Amino acid sequence: MDERAEALAEGLSRYLTRQRRADWTVTGGARIPGGASRETWRFVAGSGGEQHGIIVRIDPETSLIDTDRALEHAAIDAAYRAGIPAPEPLYLEEDASFIGRPFSIMAEVAGCSASAESLPPEHLEKIGEQKWRWLGRIAALDPAELGLESVMTLPDPQACAMEQVDYWAGVIRDDEIHPNPIAEAAVRWLRRNPPPPPQKLSLVHGDYRTGNFLFSPDGEIRAILDWEMAHIGDPLEDLAWSLDPLWSFNQPQLAGQLIPHREAIAHWEAASGLKVDPHAFRWWRVFASVKGIGIWISSSEDYHHGAAKLPILAIAGWLMTDRQERILCDYLSPHSQHLFPEATA
Amino acid sequence: MIPKPGESIAHICARIATDLLPKASDDYAAADLAFLTVMLSMVQQDFERFADVHVREHDEMCAIFRGARDRLPPDLQARVDAVLGHDQDTSLLASALNARADVTTRLLIDVHAWAEGEAGPEAAWAVDLDREIWRFLDRYAANRAYDVAL
Repeated sequence: MDERAEALAEGLSRYLTRQRRADWTVTGGARIPGGASRETWRFVAGSGGEQHGIIVRIDPETSLIDTDRALEHAAIDAAYRAGIPAPEPLYLEEDASFIGRPFSIMAEVAGCSASAESLPPEHLEKIGEQKWRWLGRIAALDPAELGLESVMTLPDPQACAMEQVDYWAGVIRDDEIHPNPIAEAAVRWLRRNPPPPPQKLSLVHGDYRTGNFLFSPDGEIRAILDWEMAHIGDPLEDLAWSLDPLWSFNQPQLAGQLIPHREAIAHWEAASGLKVDPHAFRWWRVFASVKGIGIWISSSEDYHHGAAKLPILAIAGWLMTDRQERILCDYLSPHSQHLFPEATA
Repeated sequence: MIPKPGESIAHICARIATDLLPKASDDYAAADLAFLTVMLSMVQQDFERFADVHVREHDEMCAIFRGARDRLPPDLQARVDAVLGHDQDTSLLASALNARADVTTRLLIDVHAWAEGEAGPEAAWAVDLDREIWRFLDRYAANRAYDVAL
């Protein structure tokens, strides 16, 4: 282990020993690639003859506000209790004295991969069906029954779409390094063409895409990850985000590099009990790209000003913005060649 | 001055990919190096096209402003006149081109928003202006496309 891993292991050993009132030793630190928002590490925690894989998510030095950490933990906890495949949440620690920053600990889901590059070709259909059925199940849950109203804002159904637009348009304006004429045009389009209110308010994962769930080699989805943008809102937001052409840019006929868009929507409708309104869905598709640009611009700004130096932040800021702008032109330009399929057509 | 910076960046990418990446200490370090090579290849592409794209786009935006000027409200006309008045500034320093593009693009955004508000059966010219700006935005997006194997 390098120095940083050793220091973390030592702090985590102290922490678990105090929490469990028994001697625990944490070893084997390995940082997990990806996940630019928080440092993610894998460790082994042992006590007596017992050993458990744990995943530790550590707040970055720059950025996310305190409520995001608690909110992510609450969302994972609610999903786990509701039977959605999610990592078992173990601890949320706000005290920075153990490892220098606040952190959360989850049980490791062993033997799985999240990488789109390692999707088993023989199981694409199986994974695709589960992916959108689980998303439908999440949409069908009642946020009040999950107890989420105490940690998340319950939006006005009439206003929840425009609240999201205001938020992400603000992120773009606050973090942009240069003016973004395509994103601005898309924001104006969203404001001129408001969608109907949601059929129901749901727990929205916020970043539901290939790459954010763990699957086993035999194609079983074992855990849905990265709940840090979870909120209560229109379930079409998650569906549109999951079907954004960005996640399958070089294979636009497939949703998330897995199955055709129509099949994905059919699985989601069957599991959620909801019907996709094409007009509302078109609005949420454009919104997904605006939100994406907000995220990529924010990453780029962090990198540009030196707040974070991970190359993945720069790549997100440059490459993803490039692709998201081409997607928006495809959706909105009067001269569009419509390269990306209308999923509900 | 480095005579062929684009090629030099390509050599750095190759050195990282073939020599350093295989020696990475763990998966995290390997992923970091792989991302660095992707990032450098994008820098190389922008290095080659940066000035060309900025100068061409500035000329195209100025052409849009000239055609629309007389229809615009006074505040936008004044900003158009200011941009067109500095049309002959020819510094090709990246910092100068960026600063000029910021002003010109912000003006384009505001002209576009105004045209959208005016567009309708009574103002076909505003519909045409909106379509002309979208044609520019299509090219703007294409000009920034990266050739990356991801």
